[in-house]
Amino acid sequence: MALDIDRYSSIDSSISRWDPRFKVFSLGVLIISIALLKTIPMAFVALIIAAIVIGMSALPLHFISNGLSFILVFLVPFFFIMPFSYPGEAAFHVLGLPFAWEGLRYATLIFTKALAIVLISFSIFGSSRFDVSMIALQKLKCPKIFVQMLLFTYRYTHVFLEEMHRMHTSMHSRGFVAGANAQTLRIYGNFIGTLLVRSFERTDRVYKAMLSKGYQGELHSMVKFHSSFPDVLKGLIVVGLSLVLLLSDYGGIFKVAERGWY
Amino acid sequence: MHISEGVLSAPVLITGFVGTAVLAAATMRKMDLEEIPKISVITSVFFVSSLIHVPIGVTSVHLILNGLVGVILGWRAFPAVLVGLVLQAILFGHGGVTVIGVNSLMMGGGALVAYIVWQQRYRFSFKRREFIFGALAGATAVGVSGIILALALATTGEAFHAVAGAVLLAHIPIMIIEAGVVGACAEFLSRVKPDILAGQRLAQSASAGPDAAT
Repeated sequence: MALDIDRYSSIDSSISRWDPRFKVFSLGVLIISIALLKTIPMAFVALIIAAIVIGMSALPLHFISNGLSFILVFLVPFFFIMPFSYPGEAAFHVLGLPFAWEGLRYATLIFTKALAIVLISFSIFGSSRFDVSMIALQKLKCPKIFVQMLLFTYRYTHVFLEEMHRMHTSMHSRGFVAGANAQTLRIYGNFIGTLLVRSFERTDRVYKAMLSKGYQGELHSMVKFHSSFPDVLKGLIVVGLSLVLLLSDYGGIFKVAERGWY
Repeated sequence: MHISEGVLSAPVLITGFVGTAVLAAATMRKMDLEEIPKISVITSVFFVSSLIHVPIGVTSVHLILNGLVGVILGWRAFPAVLVGLVLQAILFGHGGVTVIGVNSLMMGGGALVAYIVWQQRYRFSFKRREFIFGALAGATAVGVSGIILALALATTGEAFHAVAGAVLLAHIPIMIIEAGVVGACAEFLSRVKPDILAGQRLAQSASAGPDAAT
């Protein structure tokens, strides 16, 4: 599984050229405003905006679709659960289960909003190197210690993933097959324990090496941010769009359906 | 075990963020520089282990291990879980950015309760104590997370009452699996590298005294 969200960050686009501080902040505001939407038409508008943003980021289609496939696993079940679990009057029955249109509307709303948010989140973190996004977060007053933990964890995750694959291969080569039994659980427990012990010893060495090179808990980087008028303008447009979305949603242009489909 | 983007109402989302901010500030107090790599290691292992799937019949569930984070990191489990969830949201879109608050309360809250359960092991003395308390901690963490998740869904709207009930039921097999894995892991670590575990007391003969915690 590819974990490096920033593997296409070198692609030149109007989103990747955007000063990361402005990008993270304004698209963050857009994400929050989408999460607060209540009507389906505005959620669709948000999805169109998200599609435009990801289109502008010029990230490859296979990268986006690969990422989306993980999320669909979580979201598609809503379409099967909500219509059959919505309280109130059922429109008709499917195999004895009451089907309510209101449930389907709810599922559509959730699905559309989540898709829009995930697309925007991909365009934020896919269009800059991970460390640059983190420095931008730090500049936006995110606590230093937290940013450091994010960076360390991100780095270690790649190392452990390799380690885990190696250990998995050796387990399988000795004939291990996972099953629904106590032995599997015990083996996984020992497996994680071994991974922890090995990793601890390794990090201890890395930490001492860092200290000897003068590490004092600060994140130093050669990255310098330069903002120009277009960066500010893009930020203002996105924040403005977020406000328009929210105001139209809460302003009563579209009414939240009380009953039935829209 | 994640709440997706777009499900919860604004008051629930805001409560999640406020609760998480308070708990994160409280559990991150006086954090040493030295602790950052240790916490990050556990967070990474927590993150990577969630890719391990355990088969149950025709389906499979992935490990959560928030109980193990509590067993190893103690109070510092909360910031670790928070970091793990932020990364999951960024890298996979799992959970999502606006639900980080609620998800952290859910998973991190479970980890903190697991730590409290784990610490009770000193009250007892019997064979395989570490396994039993590790298993209890693992199961409790998932149970608490399930209850918080069900509460978040139930308070969002009547539409989710049925889902909340289903979610609680779905947690039972996960609790059993986590109990087995966390118990085995705690027992393994207490034999191989006990100083990793949270609240580990030094041996009675140690000069630091019996109550010194690592």
